[in-house]
Amino acid sequence: MTRYIQNPVLWALLVAVLGAVVVIVRQRRAARALRREIEELKTHYSELETSYSKSVEAEKERAQDATKTVLKSAMRTLQGLAAEQQLIISGLQNKYGESVILQDLLEIDHTNSQFGRRAQSIAVLCDGWLGRQREVASVYDVVRSAQGRIRHYRRVEILSQVDFGITSRAVEPVALALAELLDNATSYSSPDTVVEINIRTVPKGVCIVVDDAGVGMNDEERAKAAKLLSSERVTGVSGLGSPPQFGFAVIGVLCERYGFEVSVDSDSPYGGVRSVLLLPHDLLTGMPDKKAPAPSVPAAPARDPHGPEPALTASSTGDGLPRRRRKRPMAIVPGTASGTTSTSTRSGAETAAIMGAFQRGTQSGRATGADTADQTSSTRDASSEGHEVS
Amino acid sequence: MTGFDEREPEAAELVRPYVITKGRGLPDEEQLSLITLVTAASDDQQRPTRLSPEEQSLLELCTAGYLSVAEIAGHTRLPMGVVKILLSALTEGGYLITRPPVQRARLADRQILEEVLNGLRTKFG
Repeated sequence: MTRYIQNPVLWALLVAVLGAVVVIVRQRRAARALRREIEELKTHYSELETSYSKSVEAEKERAQDATKTVLKSAMRTLQGLAAEQQLIISGLQNKYGESVILQDLLEIDHTNSQFGRRAQSIAVLCDGWLGRQREVASVYDVVRSAQGRIRHYRRVEILSQVDFGITSRAVEPVALALAELLDNATSYSSPDTVVEINIRTVPKGVCIVVDDAGVGMNDEERAKAAKLLSSERVTGVSGLGSPPQFGFAVIGVLCERYGFEVSVDSDSPYGGVRSVLLLPHDLLTGMPDKKAPAPSVPAAPARDPHGPEPALTASSTGDGLPRRRRKRPMAIVPGTASGTTSTSTRSGAETAAIMGAFQRGTQSGRATGADTADQTSSTRDASSEGHEVS
Repeated sequence: MTGFDEREPEAAELVRPYVITKGRGLPDEEQLSLITLVTAASDDQQRPTRLSPEEQSLLELCTAGYLSVAEIAGHTRLPMGVVKILLSALTEGGYLITRPPVQRARLADRQILEEVLNGLRTKFG
């Protein structure tokens, strides 16, 4: 044993074993520490990851909100300009209504309307301003307004009318939504086909049915459209693709905000898409008073042919707004109209007698006065014109 | 005419004129001038409902008798050209009859007039 003890190799071995043990223990401890560190790092990493994605999400939202705000105010400016321009064009149309320029003015008006509608659509997606509130308008007029906002308005035909008006609050949104539907209908059908609009009264309200003869939608497109029309759509302008497809997204927002319904899930009898816009009763009112003074004109002499004052007759007929009545430029008309009706009741003999008396009067006048050639010719003209008219 | 400008200055018409005309072009000046006379083709009210409200009101306006294009335009709130387009469309559709303006009477022969005058004098003293 002592032999072994004195053997330095043993000691060396011992030292080596001890050293090894120490090293192993140390290593183990280090490994454990490392493992713990890795664990910590892992949790830290996942924490970081979640917080990162959260902040990215928040940033995205903020960016979207910022985009929305910027777009909203930009569109507001554009909408204002488009509306202003529309007014100017209206003024020009009235001013140069008699000249050939009118044709071009109508074209400009059309382009301007489309431009205004685009700005409006983007504004709607950014929760912005829809435009100024309109007066109550008939369903037919709102449909025509929508028709005027698309490029191929000539291809749209309105086949039926109903005697309903749309509340002033809903006029603009319905017109805009319908314009988007019509835009889709005309863009996705061939240029020589007609897009038909039928307006029908249904128990739930009034339906505006748009039929196109296009290629229709496949199931995927239909699902996408349904999603955009429903409330699960993405908000904002991002994700609309390039070129952006505003249509259904805009309609979806408008439906939600104003309480009408749009469905595009049926086929039209012409093979294309049938889209239906359902106006519930609370968006409907009676027909608005006719704006044009013209229709009430023939009615005035009919009701009161011997009205003493034309103005009085005008204010008592119909139920139009007194404001419009007052500024009517044609207060003379009932007067002249009643004049013609009274002459028409005369018999031929009476008329002849009157004309004869007139002739005699001019004769005697000429007989007494110095009849120059000028005077006679002018009386001649006057009397011959009188004959023509009666 | 100035009455139209008094409407709310910030609101343009909801239905634009080019929709009312359905994009049709202006008629020729010979076909429809300002003093062309227009009247409804028939008095009975067998009007199709397909006509737009503007066309119907123009028809109603014309039922009373001959009116000149300028007069008709004065009674509507539409630009003159738009009224012309509508009137020519209605004429094409057979709802209206147009008549060229009354010609100015040619100066009659002075001799004939004198004879007539003499005849009348001898008859009525």
